[in-house]
Amino acid sequence: MSKILKQLSIFVENKKGELSDITTLLASNNISISSINLSDASDFGILRLIVSDNDKAKAILDEAGFSSRFTDVFAVEVSDHVGSFNSVIKALAKENINIEYTYTISNAQIGAFIFRISDRELNHAIKTLASDGINLLSEV
Amino acid sequence: MWNKIEGESREKISQTQLSRLQDTVTRVYELTPFYKEKFDELDINPKDITCLQDIQKLPFTKKQDLRNHYPFGLFTVPMSEVVRVHSSSGTTGKPTVVGYTQADMDVWDEVMARVYTMAGATAKDVVHNAYGYGLFTGGLGFDSGAKKIGATTIPASSGFTDRQIMLMKDFNATILAATPSFALHMYETAKKSGSDYLKDFKLKSGVFGAEPTSDGLKEEVSRVWGIDYHEVYGLSEIIGPGVSSNCKHSKLLHINEDHFYPEIVDHKTGKVLPDGERGELVITSLTKQALPIIRYRTGDITSLHREPCGCGRTMVRMESIVGRVDDMIIVNGVNVYPSQVEHVIANTEGVTLNYQIIADKKGHLDKIDILVEVNDDVLSDSVAEMEKIKKDIQHSLANNLYINANVKLVEPRSIERSMGKAVRVVDKRV
Ligand SMILES: [Zn+2]
Repeated sequence: MSKILKQLSIFVENKKGELSDITTLLASNNISISSINLSDASDFGILRLIVSDNDKAKAILDEAGFSSRFTDVFAVEVSDHVGSFNSVIKALAKENINIEYTYTISNAQIGAFIFRISDRELNHAIKTLASDGINLLSEV
Repeated sequence: MWNKIEGESREKISQTQLSRLQDTVTRVYELTPFYKEKFDELDINPKDITCLQDIQKLPFTKKQDLRNHYPFGLFTVPMSEVVRVHSSSGTTGKPTVVGYTQADMDVWDEVMARVYTMAGATAKDVVHNAYGYGLFTGGLGFDSGAKKIGATTIPASSGFTDRQIMLMKDFNATILAATPSFALHMYETAKKSGSDYLKDFKLKSGVFGAEPTSDGLKEEVSRVWGIDYHEVYGLSEIIGPGVSSNCKHSKLLHINEDHFYPEIVDHKTGKVLPDGERGELVITSLTKQALPIIRYRTGDITSLHREPCGCGRTMVRMESIVGRVDDMIIVNGVNVYPSQVEHVIANTEGVTLNYQIIADKKGHLDKIDILVEVNDDVLSDSVAEMEKIKKDIQHSLANNLYINANVKLVEPRSIERSMGKAVRVVDKRV
């Protein structure tokens, strides 16, 4: 199974209720959200979601007037082994692979780190981690 | 060149213009109470027009004047001599109605023949005319010009895009007459239908107009169809399409000034501006019979250029319309047209984005916010990159338009729309 996860990145203005509008909209269409992260500037932000049905979620967001795109990321389970975060950082640093950002998620099923590497270096990163014996999640 | 007058000496053209202007002024003074009253108020007699500069003594005509005399109040011939009427839809109030005698129709055919000739068309060509036929001057204007040069005309009119594309291909059309946005829509449709459009189509050039068009859209139409883009300017109050168009040597449009006398005025003071300066285009018809019109305020912003053109035509050239007088705003003394803002954004980001200009006061100074709708084409997953888009646009606006605007990125479809069109300017200072 592919170790690359599709993350949906959505442009949001920083206004009250915007995030709950999006999550409510998806939930009411039976799309479950397994990961949520917001990166923001002063007057806007990028909301990053990993959801159960990508194409349906994208169509719903388009319809509702949100701009969104898919971004490739990968996930490492927190409980996989102690220091999983550090070992990823080290393995990538060794190959001079730049991490654009990382964030943690935790839901009922799992605790994990999400990593974003540029598309150009993504495959290289995944191979590097595999050869270092670091296990990536096929889903979160 | 269709007509040798297009390349005549300036002296000859000026002589023709003056004698035609004198005839027109006499005609409206004697036949139209509206003009007689206006002339009398200003104490002007047709005999006072002894040189072309004297045109500046004459009163302006506004769109509202046409509306006030709806439908035929300004006509100078009995209806028995009127062979055609056209009408432009008014978004507010009554439409404007224009009429043509047979002589007017002949002038229209003549100037449209010049337009087609400038676009490289001859009797051997097949013209696919996708302008709407009807009260709108586009369809019939482009139709009669094509007939005049002896080309084969396909009167496709608007709509039924799939069928139009099939006909355009099967009939081997070489010239496309359409609005630029419809031309692009045709391409998208052709691509979807899977036809190998560049191989299957014989198009070599197009005559486009009838709507405000950014340089980006012009280039895109030209590129996707692989054809020469010729712009055609006109308005029904003057004749319809055919007032001016560009030759293959430049993007500036040659004005058929032996029939339409152009001036550029400051839209606030009405003062005539020198060549090269931007202002409102004012046109006086020199040969119209049914509805002669004196110093008509087009509301379009452009500039005039008299440098010689590589094609040998000596007729004055105008810039493609920069914007509308109604849309222009002044920010800390700098004139800003929404179309320029659109242009800067498109050049900076490589795509056309929806925008809105909001002018307000901050203390004594003007402050300008520009909302820019983010779409999937420019969306990045990185906040830093989105911040960069904002900064880049601000920077380009400062460099190109000399305005310090605060750019704010907003969600798609968040800019207010009025009857389907985005509201480009919100001026909170007034
Ligand atoms: Zn020329």
